[in-house]
Amino acid sequence: MVTVWCPDWPVVAAGVAGGVPAVVLHANRVVARSPAAAAEGVTIGQRRREAQQCCPDAALLDHDPDRDARAFEPVVRAIGRFAPRLDVVEPGWLCVAARGPSRYFGGDEALARQLVDAVHGEAGALATGVGVGIADGRFAAAVAARRAGRVAMVVAPGGTPAFLAALPVAWLHVVGEVDPELVGLFARLGLARLGDLAALPEGDVLARFGPAGRHAHRLAAGLDERPAGGAEPPPERRVQQTFDDPVVALDPLVFTGKHLADRLVAGLSGEGRVCTRLVVTAETEHGERTERAWYRAAGMSAPAMVERVRWQLDAWMASGELSAGIVLLRLAPDEVRGDDGDQVRLWGGPSAADERAARAVARLAGMVGDQGVLVPAWRGGRMPGDRYGWVPASTTDLTDADDTAERLRPRPLDGPVTPGGRGAGATIGRAGPWPGALPAPAPAVVPAAARTVDLLDADGRAGAVSGRGELSAPPAALVVAGRSAQAVVGWAGPWPLDERWWDPRRHRRLARLQVVTADGAAHLVLAEHHTWWIAATYG
Amino acid sequence: MDLAAAVAPTTLARQRTLPVVDALQPLLPEGGLARGRTVACRGVAATSLTLALSAAAADAGAWLAVVDVPWLGVEAAAELGVPLERLVRVEAADTLSWADLVAAVLDGFELVVTRVPRRVGAGVLRRVQSRIQSREGVLLAVGDPGPLGADVVIEASTPVWEGVEQGAGHLRGRRVTVVSSGRRIPRPRRAELWLPGPDGVVAAVDPAAVPEPVLRSVG
Repeated sequence: MVTVWCPDWPVVAAGVAGGVPAVVLHANRVVARSPAAAAEGVTIGQRRREAQQCCPDAALLDHDPDRDARAFEPVVRAIGRFAPRLDVVEPGWLCVAARGPSRYFGGDEALARQLVDAVHGEAGALATGVGVGIADGRFAAAVAARRAGRVAMVVAPGGTPAFLAALPVAWLHVVGEVDPELVGLFARLGLARLGDLAALPEGDVLARFGPAGRHAHRLAAGLDERPAGGAEPPPERRVQQTFDDPVVALDPLVFTGKHLADRLVAGLSGEGRVCTRLVVTAETEHGERTERAWYRAAGMSAPAMVERVRWQLDAWMASGELSAGIVLLRLAPDEVRGDDGDQVRLWGGPSAADERAARAVARLAGMVGDQGVLVPAWRGGRMPGDRYGWVPASTTDLTDADDTAERLRPRPLDGPVTPGGRGAGATIGRAGPWPGALPAPAPAVVPAAARTVDLLDADGRAGAVSGRGELSAPPAALVVAGRSAQAVVGWAGPWPLDERWWDPRRHRRLARLQVVTADGAAHLVLAEHHTWWIAATYG
Repeated sequence: MDLAAAVAPTTLARQRTLPVVDALQPLLPEGGLARGRTVACRGVAATSLTLALSAAAADAGAWLAVVDVPWLGVEAAAELGVPLERLVRVEAADTLSWADLVAAVLDGFELVVTRVPRRVGAGVLRRVQSRIQSREGVLLAVGDPGPLGADVVIEASTPVWEGVEQGAGHLRGRRVTVVSSGRRIPRPRRAELWLPGPDGVVAAVDPAAVPEPVLRSVG
């Protein structure tokens, strides 16, 4: 197995020269950075703010997997010419079966040079640091590719366990798609190196950590040449769709691909299996064909399959070699393995909906500006509209549970979660005292600016609240500008509030009333600066 | 295999309707928010109703976008059961029309709460409607749906607030009569609901329950 790895491919795909500092962001986190930015200390996984602190003049780019795939397509094609059995894991990372081409070129090193030349031939000088790793298994080859320098790293046949033994367990997460929490657990239990993990008996690892742990154990021991419990899937598992009218647009094809992928995944999961290697084929009316194998160690979910179909078709259609519409789309699972439920995280982790929302937020912020897309953040206060403020969504990572918890502290998820609402006690109770705040329910309509109103007593005179917090006379009518007077059928208060008396700029001294009018509306009415205002409506 | 289907976690994405709280289920034709549909909430409790409708679905994992509703009370939303970690507010900008904005929001969010502007072109509306259907989202309109037209219109009327008298007590809960009607509902359905109830929960009114007395200080 040979792995070719182009580091920070998204930056290369964006066309950024190596000397220019640039950072590709997705959901507020760094996904890839140019060598110049890396030299300043930007690492993958950092938050945007931290990256900007390290390197203030880095250009910020949006994560665009379609662009990455389109840019990687010529590289794949070039390599496919002399190494036909290849599969792509993601743009920037592909695997090739080594034996045949290696013999043809006269050795592993020669093959590695061919591969690097092919990459440079298509991507040009932008692609720096291309690594080639050759080893017996996929995992070892991928690790070797990442550790290779200018010369390819070749692990001798049979030397894979020894090669892996000295490496830290973090590689399982970086390359092997193992849950980072599990890797963290290994580290905390003292299994700092892959060799430590591989030394444990497989049965014990399975018993303690479950199937995910066993998968990690096999990777660490270098036993992943053949997927555990894998078998050739019967050809009936292939799904395909032929089109009577040739299709020239990408979206209907992806839509069809989604249906095919759903069917395929449903069929495989019915047998308790998941696809690790998928071959996507498309043919045009004139016989032009694209066929590409995609590999993913953790198994592909339907959205992952659709994403790869989109990448492949988009790149193929953009390459300009089509002369007719597409009449056939086929998905064939090439390798399957037992489904351990690895894909479904039992707790935590962003879901597909979370990622989709985060992407939409990024796009919307580009359309309406950063201040146009807001998320709630806890501030604390007594007046409606004070407890929660709004902050731009681009300053937070919506998919990160810790970030969100921090933003919305105190967490309103404590206490019994009833379907009809968490109830009054939950948010307020955990918030700390805030004496003087009104009890629940909170008003649903809180305009940005309070409106002046007239609160009249039975004689038609404006009511007033004395310094002692006593109303001059019971209110009888509420008059909002531009509307007819409403009779007051119920009221409560006044509750005086003297906030921040020590801060002359932010000092507020007011009295609050809850007023219910004849039309059934309830308002929170304030007396401040000798005027009456509607602060909020219980709509 | 049916066993696999039974054991597999039911993701929201596979379901045709999004869940709603028990009290509101009888008002909707499918017992939930059918994907690709528009629901409008009118009347005196429009905002609260809209939030209550979206709460269960957002709790189950759907993301909620509030477009052009600047008066939204976040605390009220939280009390009605909307998980704030999946709430995003989008404000209109001069550069973009309402319809384009809603269409862009529907790309990423399954639940969209918005108010419909009074003057919108028919072609524009058709585009928004087809986008709602193709993205399989749900549009909840606060107030009159206007020219957009809603599949279900829910109106709350005759609100009665409990807990407040002449100078005593504080607002505790509100009883409303909620009527749902529309294209999908041949005979209008009604329900008496607490919106919100004294314990903060949206629930059906129990006719046999005795209202809590309002305490008044006498000395």
